[in-house]
Amino acid sequence: MEPTAPPTLHEVDAPGEWQAIEFISDLHLSEQQPRTLAAWTDYLARSSADAIYILGDLFEVWIGDDARGPGRFEQRAAQILTAAAQRRTIGFMAGNRDFLLGAEMLESCGVARLPDPTLLSAWGRRVLLTHGDALCLGDKPYQAFRRQVRSAAWRDDFLRQPLAAREQLARQMRDASEAGKRQRPAAEWSDVDAPAALAWLRAAGSQELVHGHTHRPGSELLAPGFTRHVLSDWDCDAPPVRAQVLRLTRSGFTRQDLVP
Amino acid sequence: MSKTIEMTTSAGTLRIELDDVKAPASVANFLAYAAKGHYDNTVFHRVIKGFMVQGGGFEPGMKQKPTDAAIANEANNGLKNKHYTLAMARTSSPHSATAQFFINTTDNGFLDFKSESPQGWGYAVFGRVVAGTEVVDAIENVRTGRKGGHDDVPLDDVLIQRVVVL
Repeated sequence: MEPTAPPTLHEVDAPGEWQAIEFISDLHLSEQQPRTLAAWTDYLARSSADAIYILGDLFEVWIGDDARGPGRFEQRAAQILTAAAQRRTIGFMAGNRDFLLGAEMLESCGVARLPDPTLLSAWGRRVLLTHGDALCLGDKPYQAFRRQVRSAAWRDDFLRQPLAAREQLARQMRDASEAGKRQRPAAEWSDVDAPAALAWLRAAGSQELVHGHTHRPGSELLAPGFTRHVLSDWDCDAPPVRAQVLRLTRSGFTRQDLVP
Repeated sequence: MSKTIEMTTSAGTLRIELDDVKAPASVANFLAYAAKGHYDNTVFHRVIKGFMVQGGGFEPGMKQKPTDAAIANEANNGLKNKHYTLAMARTSSPHSATAQFFINTTDNGFLDFKSESPQGWGYAVFGRVVAGTEVVDAIENVRTGRKGGHDDVPLDDVLIQRVVVL
């Protein structure tokens, strides 16, 4: 008999000896973005954080873990992630573009999987992490699409198709999405539904939300006492060039622009 | 126009205001079960802290009581599953509610109607606790365990003794 209980929130505890945790998202990495890929590789090597949490859309698209064939972009990216994970804790949360990135790949790279949402406890703070697309409730066509493509049935059907066919489909889906975005500037894209975000925060016993997806970076109050920190997207291949990291330490949140 | 019922339980007494304008079928259904004494001697058999407390279907010993025909889901009436509202329990089938109900013990927005699809229908709110919220809190905090093949069952029965219309 229902109603079914809400899913339990995945919690991550930062060890007390950690000094800094950094958050990035929306890099949309692909073979066509070599400078962004270079900036990301460089960042992973130079960062002083104890952990880097990637909150979705690291990749422009991910068509399956079997795309990591020899000489392929996906293979190179996996190698970069593996090297990074040997230096420090790397966590990955899927976004709306790379949700097909599997547990097997993350395990083989040594990257921790972060469910969406995840509650981070660090230095006495409870910070709720999410990619952001699940909270854009105003975009009803997208929410219907999301329900469809996040189902196990859809995933199995998609992954069953030959790699070439999946690449074709991904190209089509991306072109349609890009065409839609060109018609509407980023400022007009659906934003996170504030009441829903507040409900999530209250349910999690948290007062701080970190998310990406909207490509509208900034920190603001959702309601008295409740803050959200939105991550910037990255693009080092086309103007306006941008790459930014949100950093959390015992003293709080700061932003670091990697591009002067 | 609303109707108020008084539910006397082993944990205390609740007063619940039923919204027969927004949820006429659910209210009429609930009152019909109440009138024939269906809820008397049933238990809150499913209690999940931070979520909801559910009852109206089983006698002590987890003996299920027979029910009448299922009613239509009225979750699209605009009422939200807020803390202390009363809603119809059901199976995964949207229009399968019979006698069991639950009281939300937090704002459960995810239970609200979203769309007329199996996953979107939500749970029909048809009333709210107007007195005795502390009784709901007490029920929510009882120790629970597995009993008669069911989880989250209060180890000590929380009995509904009587439901009357005021």
